Amino acid sequence: MADEKLTQIYIMGKAYDVPVGVTIMDAMEYAGYRFIRGAGCRSGFCGACGTVYRREGEYRLEFVLACQEMVEEGMHLTQLPFTPAPRSDYTLSELDPSENVLLQHYPEVARCVSCNTCTKACPQEIEVMDYVQAALRGDLERVAELSFDCISCGLCAMRCPADIKHYHVAQMARRLHSVSDSPIPEHLKTRMGELESGAFRVELDELVSMDLDGLKAKYAKRVIEKEEVAT
Amino acid sequence: MTQPGFEGLQDGYPDYMRASIAEVEATRARRLQEGHQAPLDATGRAKLLEEWHPDYKADRKREISVGPSKGDRMPHEVADLLEAYPTVDPKSVDLSSPDLDVSVLILGGGGAASVAALFAVEEGIAPKDILMVTKLRHGDCNSVMAQGGIQAADRDNDSPSIHYLDVLGGGHYTNKPELVRALVEDGPRMIDWHEKLGVLYDKLGDGTYLEAHGGGTSRMRMHSAKDYTGLEIMRVIRDEVRNVGIPIIEFAPAVDLLLDEAGHAAGALLFNLETDESVVVRARAVVLATGGFGRLHIQGFPTTNHYGATADGLIMAYRAGARLIDMDSVQYHPTGVAYPAAILGQLATEKLRNQGAEPVNSEGEPFVFPLEPRDVESAAIIKECYGEEKGVETPSGIRGVWLDTPMIDEIHGPGTLKSRLAAMWMMWHRHGIDITVDPALVFPTLHYQNGGVEIHADAATGIPGLFAGGEVAGGVHGKNRLMGNSLLDYNVFGRRAGISAARWAKAHEPRNLSLKHVMTYAEELKSAGVKTDRVAPMILPDYRREAVLARRLDALR
Amino acid sequence: MGTLTYFPGCSLKDNAKRFEDAAFFVMEQLGSPLLELEKWTCCGTVYSLTSDDLMHQIAPVRNFVRAQQAGSDEIVALCAMCYNTLARTSQRINADEEERTKINAFMNKEPDYEGSVRVRHLLQVLRDNVGWATLTDKAVRSLEGLKVAAYYGCTLVRPDEVGIDDMEHPVVMADALEAVGAEPVTFPFEAECCGTYQIVDEPHLALEQSGRILRSAVRAGAHAIVTACPLCQHNLEQAVGALSEGGVEGIKNIQVVYFTELLAAALGADEGNLTPAVRDLLAACVPAEGGV
Repeated sequence: MADEKLTQIYIMGKAYDVPVGVTIMDAMEYAGYRFIRGAGCRSGFCGACGTVYRREGEYRLEFVLACQEMVEEGMHLTQLPFTPAPRSDYTLSELDPSENVLLQHYPEVARCVSCNTCTKACPQEIEVMDYVQAALRGDLERVAELSFDCISCGLCAMRCPADIKHYHVAQMARRLHSVSDSPIPEHLKTRMGELESGAFRVELDELVSMDLDGLKAKYAKRVIEKEEVAT
Repeated sequence: MTQPGFEGLQDGYPDYMRASIAEVEATRARRLQEGHQAPLDATGRAKLLEEWHPDYKADRKREISVGPSKGDRMPHEVADLLEAYPTVDPKSVDLSSPDLDVSVLILGGGGAASVAALFAVEEGIAPKDILMVTKLRHGDCNSVMAQGGIQAADRDNDSPSIHYLDVLGGGHYTNKPELVRALVEDGPRMIDWHEKLGVLYDKLGDGTYLEAHGGGTSRMRMHSAKDYTGLEIMRVIRDEVRNVGIPIIEFAPAVDLLLDEAGHAAGALLFNLETDESVVVRARAVVLATGGFGRLHIQGFPTTNHYGATADGLIMAYRAGARLIDMDSVQYHPTGVAYPAAILGQLATEKLRNQGAEPVNSEGEPFVFPLEPRDVESAAIIKECYGEEKGVETPSGIRGVWLDTPMIDEIHGPGTLKSRLAAMWMMWHRHGIDITVDPALVFPTLHYQNGGVEIHADAATGIPGLFAGGEVAGGVHGKNRLMGNSLLDYNVFGRRAGISAARWAKAHEPRNLSLKHVMTYAEELKSAGVKTDRVAPMILPDYRREAVLARRLDALR
Repeated sequence: MGTLTYFPGCSLKDNAKRFEDAAFFVMEQLGSPLLELEKWTCCGTVYSLTSDDLMHQIAPVRNFVRAQQAGSDEIVALCAMCYNTLARTSQRINADEEERTKINAFMNKEPDYEGSVRVRHLLQVLRDNVGWATLTDKAVRSLEGLKVAAYYGCTLVRPDEVGIDDMEHPVVMADALEAVGAEPVTFPFEAECCGTYQIVDEPHLALEQSGRILRSAVRAGAHAIVTACPLCQHNLEQAVGALSEGGVEGIKNIQVVYFTELLAAALGADEGNLTPAVRDLLAACVPAEGGV
């Protein structure tokens, strides 16, 4: 480690020398922090490590995931490991997609002034404000489409001047959109019926009790489905 | 949102790597024309594995010296934890008046735990009589970051029997037949359940699922939600757990199971990570859904796993008398990130390959069928880097091979990668690399616990009242899991564990909670000559560096 | 008098301190001392009087940025209120580089607005780009015999800078309807306010306004009053309901429709896609030569 290049960052106001070229999460551990809160999947999917920082000499705040963002000289950072955003309970099958249930459950959505602060706080580059506006109009499909990459890190809800709970609204919209606009494919229903009637029982009984040589032979004779790609 | 420190890099890559990338570009047109080389036959696979797969390094494993699976071989890192003394001294805990009393206690905060909870409710246990406890948050788990897809045989040209064969062959025929049967038979019904919950699977214009191949599959039965499949399923199921109102305590991992006087599972001892308090939970039935062991960094590999994947459940169950199975087998995902070093080992989904990205070496030449089962694919990549010496060396010393990601849009049309592999695009984009333009560098990374606590088809373990599902359980995948069967596993066996636990809970009442089994186990360790200051469960890995740890003071009393 | 609760304000603590000091002394002498309000804050005059209301321009400008990104240098609006808001902002911000720079700086990470997006209303497009002759040409159903009251409301024609026509005597909508054979009637309330969003909090005010407009249209003999704004449409519909209940002569039969609905009917829209109101109106028309 003798020739390791170090750079100075500020973790909750305290200066630490950390290696260049590592993520904020790795840098904090290098500095001596052992995460209890603020670390989850460590791969950018769970939203546990929402982090706020500013650069040296700048006043604007930046919003990132500690496990994905690299450290920068003079970074002043803190984490926001929890967002106290209330959730509205619901029974999916009882929701009426013809009404704007999103507004019923989250009336504060109507307070959106389209300031775009939420979009600028999103570490997944989601157009958050746009999906809130779609929620305002009851456009479930557009909410689902735009919010899909959301990992519920909570940074948007923390920044919103109208105290909207973006990711809870989006979660509800996606589920409702799925059950009302994306029907269960027929082939799945067919397969369910076949399973119920025991269509595969005999085949599986046979396989379960087959000897090793028999299985190996069958495996070797498998026909691999070819992918058809439309050109 | 690209990041600092890119001086001297050309679109994210150092100049010297650009030469190799040029070779990949030069061979691309030819490779798109000629298609893939043939997959290996059984003999070819066996040879490759024996010579190059990390599992075959005999000196990296040892036989466990105590317990129900004494004599079984497993990685040192796992054996070290099984041959360790209890983290919490059982004598220091008062079990006489439990803090919490529930019907079904579920250990875990991921997919299997959540599915078990929902089905326990369906089986008739009131939500308030269920308790989920987890080490981190609900949703901080491996389930949430699975990317490529979930297998289920729901199309006309496919059947559970064909799926069965794929699973068994991929697992080297060591899987428990009854478990494989349960896995494949329940596939379609779990997809159906997801549909009713509102999971947004990718569908084609005609409303049917967009289904793809995985390594070792003979039918295209991988259902996906972009490359956020794990996230999409997990967040829907988590949302439903919240709607139903099932209580969950976060940041309170279990450190030992409780048994009662009849030797039945009777609850757990929890440790509140934030207040250091013990919490004694009495339960009529216990579900073990504690996930995998990636943070043990077996053989020093980086891992795809979440922060808390430290095999805690495995250890607790073993101490209580559960048998383990297939612990000698570790899954390395063939394509972990090899560059940049900042995100080393993070998962790059198999879906990249099933959408057309071909692995090629430093000279731009293919060297393996892109969708071999994972152990074979990993071995091939390791061989190419360290045997053939045709890997690309990164500035940090890691070697890797190229995954020719620009092929995806060439095959399926512009925009395909960004829409179907949004997470992958974003992951490298944050580091200045555009994988629609340049290939990505990959190398195997520690990924999945193929084995685990042995279960039956109803998710029962050898301990009465203890049920297990998901990655912690073993026997489903044999010596090697196929892509898409882990998401399926946690749904199928999470459901079975929840139902079985509910039924058990209705018929049993624990009497006289005890941690005696932990003390007995410690005695066994002593008798076997295990002298160590190691303790288990680990709870969390420690990434603080030596220089910091050497100066630690215990000053805050 | 006892003590008086005194509000200082910012200046009185700074460059006007002597003003305050003297006041304290005077009121002390007069037996009614000033007691400073605890925890007073700025009265807000600077914020409320500032002409810099750039925050209000963000939402419209963001749409211009989106248009820019989509490669368009013009937006066409249908709702009169949206037209009005967007047009006023575009004129102001397109012309003022300094304000534009400030807004771009405030919006920060969003693409800069270059200042070249224009806003027009559909009626302007029909008049200036399509032309009435073309409209007549393309009509397959004649609206001959249909008397229409072209109602402009406020925001389509005011203020002058964005008005699509003369605010006292606009003709553009009437011309459009005439081009497809309808007979516009003259009615003096054609550009009076419908009561706008007062319909929410003070509905009686809006109903009064809209009621006058409706009665004027009825007196002029109109079969339909034609709108270009969802809010005008809503208020007039509400007024029809209110006045019908009140038994006002002739109100029950007058239809309230959007101008595009009548144009669509004239240009051959499928009967099944026409609302009952429009179909009723078509029945009142004289069939064209040869019939359709």
